[in-house]
Amino acid sequence: MSKELIRLADCVMTFDDEVVLDKINLSIRDKEFLTLLGPSGCGKTTTLRIIGGFQTPTSGDVLFDGVRINAVPPHKRTINTVFQKYALFPHLNVYENIAFGLRVPKTDARGNKVKLSEEEIDRRVMEMLEVVNLKGFERRRTTQLSGGQQQRVAIARALVNQPKVLLLDEPLGALDLKLRKDMQNELKRIQKAMEITFVYVTHDQEEALAMSDTVVVMDSGRIQQIGSPEDIYNEPENAFVADFIGESNIIDGVMRADGVVEIFNRRFQCLDGGFEKDEAVDVVIRPEDVDIVPEDQGQLRGTVTSVTFKGMQYDIIVDFYGFKWLIQTTDLSPVGSRIGIKIDPDGIHVMKKSEYSGLFGDYSSYSEEYEEISDASFEEESGDEE
Amino acid sequence: MKTQSRAGSRLIIGLMFLFLYAPILLLIVFSFNAGDSSAVWKGFSLDWYAKLFQNRIIMESVYTTLLVSLLATAIATTAGTFAAIGLYSLGRKKREALLTVNNIPMVNADIVTGVSLCLFFVAFFQGWGSFARWFNSVQSAVELPDRLVLGFGTLLLAHVAFNIPYVILNVAPKLRQMDRNLMDAAQDLGCTWMRGFWKVMLPEIKPGIVSGALIAFTMSIDDFIISYFTAGSASSTLAMAIYGMTKKRVTPEINAVSTLLFLSVLVLLVASNVKEIRQEARDRRGIVRQPTALDQLRLKLAEPRFRWVRRGTAAVLACAFVAAVVFLSHATGSRPVVNVCSWGEYIDEALIEQFEERTGIRVNYQTAESNEALYSLLKSGGADYDVVVPSDYMIGRLIEEDMLEKLDYSQIPNFSEIDSRFQNLSYDPANEYTVPYAWGTLGIIYNTAMVDGEITSWSALYDEKYAGSVLLINNSRDAIGEALLYLGYSVNTTDEEEIREAYDLIADANRRGVFQGRVMDEVFQKMEGGNAAIATYYAGDYISMLENNEDLAFVIPEEGSNWFVDAMCMLKGAPHQKEAHMWMNFIASTDANLANMDYIGYASPNREALERYPAYYAERYGEELDPGLYEIMAAPAEVLERCESYGNLPAATLNLYKNLWTQLGVR
Repeated sequence: MSKELIRLADCVMTFDDEVVLDKINLSIRDKEFLTLLGPSGCGKTTTLRIIGGFQTPTSGDVLFDGVRINAVPPHKRTINTVFQKYALFPHLNVYENIAFGLRVPKTDARGNKVKLSEEEIDRRVMEMLEVVNLKGFERRRTTQLSGGQQQRVAIARALVNQPKVLLLDEPLGALDLKLRKDMQNELKRIQKAMEITFVYVTHDQEEALAMSDTVVVMDSGRIQQIGSPEDIYNEPENAFVADFIGESNIIDGVMRADGVVEIFNRRFQCLDGGFEKDEAVDVVIRPEDVDIVPEDQGQLRGTVTSVTFKGMQYDIIVDFYGFKWLIQTTDLSPVGSRIGIKIDPDGIHVMKKSEYSGLFGDYSSYSEEYEEISDASFEEESGDEE
Repeated sequence: MKTQSRAGSRLIIGLMFLFLYAPILLLIVFSFNAGDSSAVWKGFSLDWYAKLFQNRIIMESVYTTLLVSLLATAIATTAGTFAAIGLYSLGRKKREALLTVNNIPMVNADIVTGVSLCLFFVAFFQGWGSFARWFNSVQSAVELPDRLVLGFGTLLLAHVAFNIPYVILNVAPKLRQMDRNLMDAAQDLGCTWMRGFWKVMLPEIKPGIVSGALIAFTMSIDDFIISYFTAGSASSTLAMAIYGMTKKRVTPEINAVSTLLFLSVLVLLVASNVKEIRQEARDRRGIVRQPTALDQLRLKLAEPRFRWVRRGTAAVLACAFVAAVVFLSHATGSRPVVNVCSWGEYIDEALIEQFEERTGIRVNYQTAESNEALYSLLKSGGADYDVVVPSDYMIGRLIEEDMLEKLDYSQIPNFSEIDSRFQNLSYDPANEYTVPYAWGTLGIIYNTAMVDGEITSWSALYDEKYAGSVLLINNSRDAIGEALLYLGYSVNTTDEEEIREAYDLIADANRRGVFQGRVMDEVFQKMEGGNAAIATYYAGDYISMLENNEDLAFVIPEEGSNWFVDAMCMLKGAPHQKEAHMWMNFIASTDANLANMDYIGYASPNREALERYPAYYAERYGEELDPGLYEIMAAPAEVLERCESYGNLPAATLNLYKNLWTQLGVR
């Protein structure tokens, strides 16, 4: 495991008495791809801006390589940013946009101002153009480029300065789905090739899972969970994480013993332990972990109330004792039919009760809500405005 | 139907443009007129352009205008731009509130802005005066000036103040359009805020800054009212100089300078539009402009090894600008100066140069547009004149209110040249305050082609026979005075009955539609162009009308008329008393009086000059002066006997005049 590069220690951020970040503790390692994931207004962009130096935390420390950098302005940090909507300079062409950072005089160790030679600038700009596949576009105006091309210019403009850390603020938010997938791969490739740390902000959980080494799930200015994509998906800390990452049925349960959880008065085998005896818990069951069996062979029995064809599978909503589950299956069970289900022990994940218990994981109002969530429109976080 | 309505809308658009541009076109045409009329075309000539560059008052006011506009634009653009940027770093609510506050001065009436700035400056000067006197009394190391007056500095401050809101208004939308992340991006890429401002924000908001600066510049050049209240005595802008001329007449040089002004603005506008259109076309077609030779030179100079060339050029330009400013604002540095306020077109300007050459004293020559305006300017405390040239009745008032300084006649030997008829006049019975400057008479000017026979009485003014073609003079003292004379009363009567009777005479004629209108300056155009038959005006001005219309005749009616004297006086506490005496002595000389009499057409009070004028005329123009004309210019003794000069009326009578004059609703 590589060494720690950035640490946020007890960072608190308030705007006009409104707490935007509440005691954030975060460690970012060298060369890792870390994603801050959460819904609009969760504080992820504010966290990014604190790392970039655009905002100073109300309290708490920001450490870079072990040195406190709270008061260091952005232009003195070896960190570069790819902004929302790119923020390319409209009056400069592609070449000059990328060369912008290189043309700024730097101060060397002895305090002298140093400027890069034109040859050096040219070499590095051309190199970056190659990295982002934009050779031949040097003299274009940025306003004449497509969204994806502008995106690449923004990345090249940041990377040409050879930062230790690249911050990316919803960089793919304005692109269409197909292009977004391509750019995800592209970003991953660039990060591997350049061997630098990426801190990536998104509200798209699929993007987060697909690209990251570490995912930080945030909500209401607090970190809900930090972990690898697999950890986050398979072992969510609480109902919020379980719901935000993928689809989840979250059911009230009682832990009867290690490895035994009771749902709807039936006992299920599970792999979790370490709870008090008879502790009330939230039980997460992913839609794809449920097997449909004939009614009489099921651990639970219910009625199919809705079926949606999704291409690779059907999403069916099944009513179990008044609680509606989402089940993904390749076998069609028509609406109204009675079915049974079986859940393997590794398909059950038990979580401690939290403030989010009871808020998520019921699919009673499935059709509208589901579509709405997966389509969550891109909004700026409230904290940035003023 | 369709073609018809299209033709109709074209016609309307055509008329609209005609309405907008015809007056300007007319102005341009008349700037090339060989004659001095703005109604009669006398052939093409560039004389007025040549004269323009010799007209010292206009040229100085053009300098002042350009200097104040350029400086005010530069300062206001810088301040306004940063203010707008500051506004955009505030929260939305505060920003909206402040932008609203910013808009108020723009919709505010200029007169309110002007008066309040004037009050503010005068109040500040008073406060400063007390402070400076106290400060000078407690220590002697530094001597602070304790007497500040309105002048170029206050004019500049006022212009900066009223220009800033326009700059903010133009820059703000550009800031709103700008991606707020751009500045973050610049800083992220290593720029300090200031470098980011130059490299990123400035290019983004430049169109707003440029249009803000252009508007500020035009507003500055355009402004009259605010300048009028804040410029004090020492400087006047072009607009003020033109306004100052209205007591006599607007000279055609103004047409020339206006034409030049209009054309330069036009060129500027066209140039910037063409550039914009070309850029847009390029953007649309996605064409990347090929670098021109100029671009290549620019790129070359941008290279680091030419740094010293760039810095050197910038330094030289900056020095040149500062030098130009210093030169223009202090053209003559510490030379002694005398501040004179007179009427427009009321001096042969060669005299100013002669005086300056002879004495080394700089003459700061300003103009006011009427006795009343001069009076209120003096009363406001903002003026800093040494010598003023008011008319008789106003002098009486100034003496009464202790606003004049007694003169030391031992310093004015030429005073002995003044004809005794013009000494010890009623407004200054002991002749302690004044040196007469010019005199003249009021009379009837009529168009012989439009009137039967000769006119000899004021009655013609009220005669229904001439309904619609009589011009009433737009000056209560003169208009009511004429009626008083007609009725056989004194022009200086304080008897309310008599004054009311005179007023009724005018009001009655007005009801019967005798008057075409109330005019001052317009009288030239109307009479020269044959648009009116009868008017009353001053003898000296009749001479210049005659040059453009030979049918005009002048008469001093048998009932008598007003004769007036304008005289030089020195204001109480004038800062340059020695120079003021020298100036008055110089102007009182025979030579100066001859030149002035020839230039302004009013009679001289200098005995010798008055006698010698016909000879002077013959020598100068190679032809004899028509004796009839000479008698009109300088009314002979028997005519003057019939005439009466205006005295200073008591406040109650002045009020009555004012009220009656307001009641009279002539078109």
